[in-house]
Amino acid sequence: MADQTPRAGSVRSLRDTDWSHLLTLLRDRRQGLGIAVALGLAWTFGKIAVPLLTQAAIDRSISADGSVLVWAGAIAGAGVVTGSFTAARRHIAFRESRMVETLLREQIHDHVLGLHPAYHDRAQTGQLMSRMSADLNQVQMFVVMIPLTLSHLALIIGVGVTLVVLDPWLALVALAPLPFVNVTAKKFSNAIHPAVLAVQSEQAQLSAVVEESIAGVRVVKGFGAERVRMEALSTEADDIQRVSLRAAEIRSRFLPLIEILPALGLIGVLGVGGLRVLDGAMTVGELVAFNFFVTLLVWPLRSIGMTVAFGQRAAAALERVHEVLSVNPAIVDPSEPTALPSTGTLGSVEMRGVRFAYGDQLTVLDGLDLHIAPGESLAIVGSTGSGKSTIARLLLRFYDPDDGAIVLDGVDLRDLRVDDVRRSVGIVFEETLLFNDTVGANIAFASPTVDPIADRSRVIEAARLAGAADFIAELPDGYDTVLGERGYSLSGGQRQRIAIARAVLADPRVLILDDATSAVDPSKEHEIRSAMATVMEGRTTIVIAHRPGTIAMADRVALLDGGRIVEVGSHEELLARSTRYREVLAAQTEATVGGDN
Amino acid sequence: MWGGAGVDPEDRLDRAEAAQVLRRAARLAKSQRRTAGAAVGFVAMATGTALFGPLFVRHGIDAGIRTGDRGALAVAVVGYVLVVLLGYVGSRRQYILVNRAGEGFLRELRLRLFAHIQRQSLGFFDRNKAGVLVSRMTADIESMSELVQWGLLQFVSAGILISVALVVLMVLSWQMTVVALAVLPIVVLASIVFQRRSNDAYLEVRERVGQNLSTIQEHLAGVRVIQASARTDEQRHRFRMSNRGLFSAHMRTVRVSTWYFGVVELAGVLATALAVLAGGWLVDRQAVSVGTVVAVVLLLASLFEPVQQLSQLYNTLQSATASLRKMFDILDTEPEVDEHHASVDLGDSGDVVVDSVTFTYPGSDVPALTDASLTIASGERIALVGPTGAGKSTLAKLIARLYDPDQGVIALGGTELRNATMSSLRQRVVVVPQEGFLFNGTIADNLRLARPESTDLELLDALDRIGVKGRFTDLPDGLDTEVRERGSRLSAGERQLVSLARAALVDPTVLVLDEATSNLDPGTESEVEAALERLMSGRTVVVVAHRLSTVRRADRIVVCDGGRLVEVGTHDELVAISGGRYAQLSSAWEASRPVAGQVVIDSGLN
Repeated sequence: MADQTPRAGSVRSLRDTDWSHLLTLLRDRRQGLGIAVALGLAWTFGKIAVPLLTQAAIDRSISADGSVLVWAGAIAGAGVVTGSFTAARRHIAFRESRMVETLLREQIHDHVLGLHPAYHDRAQTGQLMSRMSADLNQVQMFVVMIPLTLSHLALIIGVGVTLVVLDPWLALVALAPLPFVNVTAKKFSNAIHPAVLAVQSEQAQLSAVVEESIAGVRVVKGFGAERVRMEALSTEADDIQRVSLRAAEIRSRFLPLIEILPALGLIGVLGVGGLRVLDGAMTVGELVAFNFFVTLLVWPLRSIGMTVAFGQRAAAALERVHEVLSVNPAIVDPSEPTALPSTGTLGSVEMRGVRFAYGDQLTVLDGLDLHIAPGESLAIVGSTGSGKSTIARLLLRFYDPDDGAIVLDGVDLRDLRVDDVRRSVGIVFEETLLFNDTVGANIAFASPTVDPIADRSRVIEAARLAGAADFIAELPDGYDTVLGERGYSLSGGQRQRIAIARAVLADPRVLILDDATSAVDPSKEHEIRSAMATVMEGRTTIVIAHRPGTIAMADRVALLDGGRIVEVGSHEELLARSTRYREVLAAQTEATVGGDN
Repeated sequence: MWGGAGVDPEDRLDRAEAAQVLRRAARLAKSQRRTAGAAVGFVAMATGTALFGPLFVRHGIDAGIRTGDRGALAVAVVGYVLVVLLGYVGSRRQYILVNRAGEGFLRELRLRLFAHIQRQSLGFFDRNKAGVLVSRMTADIESMSELVQWGLLQFVSAGILISVALVVLMVLSWQMTVVALAVLPIVVLASIVFQRRSNDAYLEVRERVGQNLSTIQEHLAGVRVIQASARTDEQRHRFRMSNRGLFSAHMRTVRVSTWYFGVVELAGVLATALAVLAGGWLVDRQAVSVGTVVAVVLLLASLFEPVQQLSQLYNTLQSATASLRKMFDILDTEPEVDEHHASVDLGDSGDVVVDSVTFTYPGSDVPALTDASLTIASGERIALVGPTGAGKSTLAKLIARLYDPDQGVIALGGTELRNATMSSLRQRVVVVPQEGFLFNGTIADNLRLARPESTDLELLDALDRIGVKGRFTDLPDGLDTEVRERGSRLSAGERQLVSLARAALVDPTVLVLDEATSNLDPGTESEVEAALERLMSGRTVVVVAHRLSTVRRADRIVVCDGGRLVEVGTHDELVAISGGRYAQLSSAWEASRPVAGQVVIDSGLN
């Protein structure tokens, strides 16, 4: 899959590898894997039967008793057995390994999706993606090899015993080089892995040079920098060639050796075995069978060596996966949740002495007190980094305050079910993320009871209130138009109106508009504002904004400074009386004129 | 993975096209001819020797063991050892030489393709998406790498194995060979059917993998929205659907390949059975020796693997020719803006003449600029204003010859830009874009972009001239500070300062500026303003203006609208035209002057 981050040190010695996660995993799949192993063993018997039958056929055909037809038929029969068993074994092995991969991916996905935002603040998307793709690939590649490897192991033992029974001394000659095949294969697998990663890493670097040269083509052209970029590229191209040659050197060191080692066994059998036939100690047929058996062992030994190396990588990958899975969610439902009051005047918000810092960083909120009455709208104004958005995040219970309490309609948020909090508190973010789904589904996103198709009229009504109905009607498929990264793309203002429609439809008792107009083209801001005014009506609303036009929409304005609310009043009052308020606004405000577009 | 590369049906080339593409690739690879020849030699050596093994076994059995001739047995053993050692040597060399030839060819392809992409003018980059160009340079070349590394090696070795094995088999016993090879049509037929079906199945897997990854990415990027909307369980369900879809696609590839592997295995054993049958009959009649039967059975086993390899190679070849054709399409695109043999160097003068210029962007029906004429005196400062899409930035780009006009002439110091050498043009005219775009590397690397030979002193001098030397020399690593990807280590303002210093280092006669629309961090805002002012002084400046302050400082203002230059004059002159475009704009700005801050006009060009 896509992510191929080179990870140094992913190959460890056998003893340092933590096999526990891998073993747990295999225990869960023991039934399917067991069947595959059984099929593999049956295949192995067929595989051993072929040379035995061939030997018998040759010996008998020389004595010319006319039974050669029977022997040939038996060989063909063994072929049918091995052919169908190899197919069945492959099928089950792949099914099991893909199932392991699929289930693990769901497990990681589901777990990560439920983890608290503080975790996601630190986690890198690329790393998590790589857990769910590259790492699981490693696991799959190993699991698929297990049945084959176990039947290979059985084959090696079976053939080894047969050879010893046939002729112990000749067996020693034939088998002597074979352990080296195994050792060399494992060494090779460990040596080539980092080399292959290095090639991938150099390729990624070249890709980065190409990407930035094309993204910055205006600069390259504007400055005539083609030559400099060409040099950067040729450095990377040389690097690729260099590391790729190194990988070829590793291949040339190991692969030819792996190829000739079994041939040495064959030569030994020819020489020593030939002498024994001459001495009358064995038949020609037995010698030929010996040859066959030795060739039979070549592949299994090679593949066992590689499987061990694969297993180490899979164990390391699972360890990384386990690291993610072992993170406990910090924001969870209380053991005995309180129900939110559902009658009376609803939507009061209170923050009492709230203290909060992100992790071990500086304190953002330092004993903040704030009360918002039901139905009231309050604008929060403060300089960049003053903690405006932190208030929004605490209200959604993305984080818990370090000290103090946040109370919604008389209940501490920590005593409520997390889903209840989030269904009661709605938010329109600064930048709206639209999902790769229809317009209707995006609007109904926060309303679990609304079906985007069956309840179309409610979706349309929400869009109308948010001022989005007109442009949606003009989309190619109206409410069924697919949006998002791989769908139709909307302008910033249009996205914001979809987000507001989402909030309207969800009908929360408290609504937060977190910088909802800042990503919008200034000339389009008035359209968003009228949509905002509609949703704010009669609803407890917190407006985080820095454009005066948006701030003025709220009933009251609170100035946030030094982690506390320092001034409260109407926009005009604060403009008139607070120097700090004027300063904060001046630093942020930029009046804008939209030309005539 | 086995046969893992899928080829889109629309990318697949027919036989004649593929042959043509491959011939052209072979011509490109000319410099690697000697290495490639040597590589083929060693491949042949490694493969050929492997075939001699069974012959020595036969000799040992027939001439040695059966006749009791110990000398003949010794000859067979020693011969076998020599052949194996020879094979070892050939095999070692083959890995190195094949890699050297293949990677050498790919390196040349990379350089040639990149050089050609860079020669293209901006119109080319408007037409071709960045992602597509990047994948030509990366994914497409890497898909070739499979062919040049393994494909050729396999092709040569499988070809040699099959032909030599066949000849040897025929010589040993044509009767046994013919009987045993009766299974070959089954293998060939199965391979063809498998290739077809697996291609579709693997394409589906690729598609599903991409879909699944983008669902994961979407969910990770939107985890806060999902949680805020209490939608976690629904999104989990949604992912399960996508993930299970991928599982089914994987299972389809397994079903397609499972029976194939069974058939191939069966065919191999069946061939042995047939050979034994025929051999037994022939030995009975004393037509062949027992040693021959053994040799034939051994050789047959080595015949089936190369047949499989060749059928796999077919897929690799198809995806490689598809990639090659896409690359050749780029190499065949001639740049629109280019020099010709009679190009001359531009002089020192900063007079710019735009005469009746009309320009339409490729792929558009509406001209971006219609019949524009303008004369700019050396050292004059011109502000271009107007709404988005009015033609401001098009005019700026034409003056910098990022495009050539469809009609009309643009001249600098009396020389038409079309007749100027590119190197002199880039020294006389420099474009500074809206946002400081930095490349991965140090600050010094970024400054040297246009003048790679500049000394450290010259860099410091350029920084000094725009008054920002201290800002960068005070960094712990000074100008050797790594700016990281897209300059992410520096603030937006600092990136803009580096971009301005980059222009100062070139010391151009004409400066074409695209003013930033958004505000920078307050700390650097005034510093950028001051640096810009220093950079502009003494040069002819054409600025696409978004700020009132910039417009007011210009010598003359050009108002663009609908691709035409509708008003040209000083601020006072234009304000005096009652009902004029500029007069309207200007009064709108005055009315909207805020409590603080400055005016930004429209959202600029992108």
